[in-house]
Amino acid sequence: MSEQGLTTVELTKTFGGVCAVDHASVAFHHGRINAVIGPNGSGKTTFFNCVTGMIRPDSGTVAYRGRDVTGRAPHRIAAAGIGRSFQLCRIFPRMTVRENVLAAVRPRGLAGLLRSAHDPAQVERARGWLRRVGIDHLEDVEARDLSYGQQKLLELAGVLMADPETIMLDEPAGGVNPALIDRIAALVRELNGEGRTFIVVEHNMELVMSLSDHVVVFDRGRPIAEGPPDSVRSDPAVLEAYLGV
Amino acid sequence: MRNVSKFAALLTGAVALLSFPLWSPNPYITSAGVVVLSYAVLSTSWNFVGGFTGYMSLGHAAWFGLGAYGTGLLIARAGVPSFLALGLAGVIVALLAVPIGIAALRVRGASFVIVSIALVLVLLLVFQSWRSFTGGSDGLVVPRPFPDLLRPEHHVVFFYLFAVLLAVALLAWWTIDRSRFGLGLKAIREDEDKAQSLGVPTFAYKLVAFVVSATFTALGGGLYALWFGDLDPIFQFSILIGSYMVLMALLGGVRHLFGPLLGALLVGIAIEYFKMSYGDTQFHLVATGLLLAVVVLFMPDGVIPAVAGLLQRFRPQQSSIREVTAADLLEQNRSETKVEARR
Repeated sequence: MSEQGLTTVELTKTFGGVCAVDHASVAFHHGRINAVIGPNGSGKTTFFNCVTGMIRPDSGTVAYRGRDVTGRAPHRIAAAGIGRSFQLCRIFPRMTVRENVLAAVRPRGLAGLLRSAHDPAQVERARGWLRRVGIDHLEDVEARDLSYGQQKLLELAGVLMADPETIMLDEPAGGVNPALIDRIAALVRELNGEGRTFIVVEHNMELVMSLSDHVVVFDRGRPIAEGPPDSVRSDPAVLEAYLGV
Repeated sequence: MRNVSKFAALLTGAVALLSFPLWSPNPYITSAGVVVLSYAVLSTSWNFVGGFTGYMSLGHAAWFGLGAYGTGLLIARAGVPSFLALGLAGVIVALLAVPIGIAALRVRGASFVIVSIALVLVLLLVFQSWRSFTGGSDGLVVPRPFPDLLRPEHHVVFFYLFAVLLAVALLAWWTIDRSRFGLGLKAIREDEDKAQSLGVPTFAYKLVAFVVSATFTALGGGLYALWFGDLDPIFQFSILIGSYMVLMALLGGVRHLFGPLLGALLVGIAIEYFKMSYGDTQFHLVATGLLLAVVVLFMPDGVIPAVAGLLQRFRPQQSSIREVTAADLLEQNRSETKVEARR
């Protein structure tokens, strides 16, 4: 845990008069499965977007492995080793499953840019990830023809193809059936065992409590509690945020 | 087997196209052929941006006009040899497209369409008003590159010059289409934010596609200037030319190498025919508008996918030929039901 992963200091983002993320300072545990929970509208997704460069924060800093990455463009955040999935799942609908995964290959130099996208070595790598998430038999299908659950798996395969060290998942269990939730959870555990850090936004408490090593609770744009799942569950501030007692 | 028939179709098409000047009944028809081929160059050039990135530029006539006037002015005002002027105009437009692209590509969707239209209108005003340099509405006469050629031969020569430019543009599009760069551009078309989060440097990619597209369009414009020999801002910088490029590409199919070419053949021939039939009236515009409506309503992906889909129905179905094991079949059924359920 001595190793420094993703950290934010006083991160702030305001939309009009609404402070979506309010001086949020969080240090995620590198090499572990971190969960970010909180009531709807507590700023989790905006926080994600600020960290991954989709939104430029008003103030505060984001650092990854000791380097300041605040306000960098999303592709540079990705190059730094942070991958992400989107809430409600985003894929390239009119591309095949294989192409969806190959799109995450980072070409080097002009020759790399002009090399065939279906370069055998990369296709093999893409197939490996598709097999890992369990949809390699759908390689040639257009992504829009997949079921929602399969699209979620495809998105995960694409994120993994970019080989990120830290993976941020925005509601991986949202809208999928219990069997698939178990499969995704097992996959996250496996990948964590292989050294990848996870930061997961999730509403499914059962999943959060069973999956994560470290939980950060957001309310009104800032972390109000953090710690191991058990201690967070009984924290009075958390109960108040969730139940309004 | 499929590759062979594909190659045969390609060869037949190329021979039919390239032999046109030989069987064209008269020079007027040959000149119409040059116009149609120039449309094919323009819409194929447009498709570097429109087809790959999905950014719909309605103002691509800006590059057509700049290429035409760049070439014409270099020859008429600076005495540069014709084809050197054409090349120089291409370079100048490529350089101009960088800052313009940086500004225009900051916005997406409908905003980008408006910006692209604004660009062509601004250029129209500039070229009309700057009479002392551009000749304004009186036009600019571009000296012919081959003064000794008779008019019919002139048409034939330019038909093949446009064919060469088209071949180069198609080759460039094909190279990008199969490359990693092309896959990145297509990812931008599908979901730009998602592409960027996966590590695609979207802005740089879009800018390169934009510059390539502008340059090819400008070369098409320059060649047009050399052929036609007379430039007028109202025609060079017209929204109509820009819309034709879009219409042709959409009609043929923007996801296909030959989509814009096919669209240009269909629309270009139709326009030339309507012009001949309805003469000076503007009815050819109405006819073109109707054509666009039909395309959008019935073939949103263009002619090529529509026809390919139709042919697919007559092909033997995959499962009836291939031997499958029970396990394969089970897996296939399972995935198919999932796919069906999604639909």
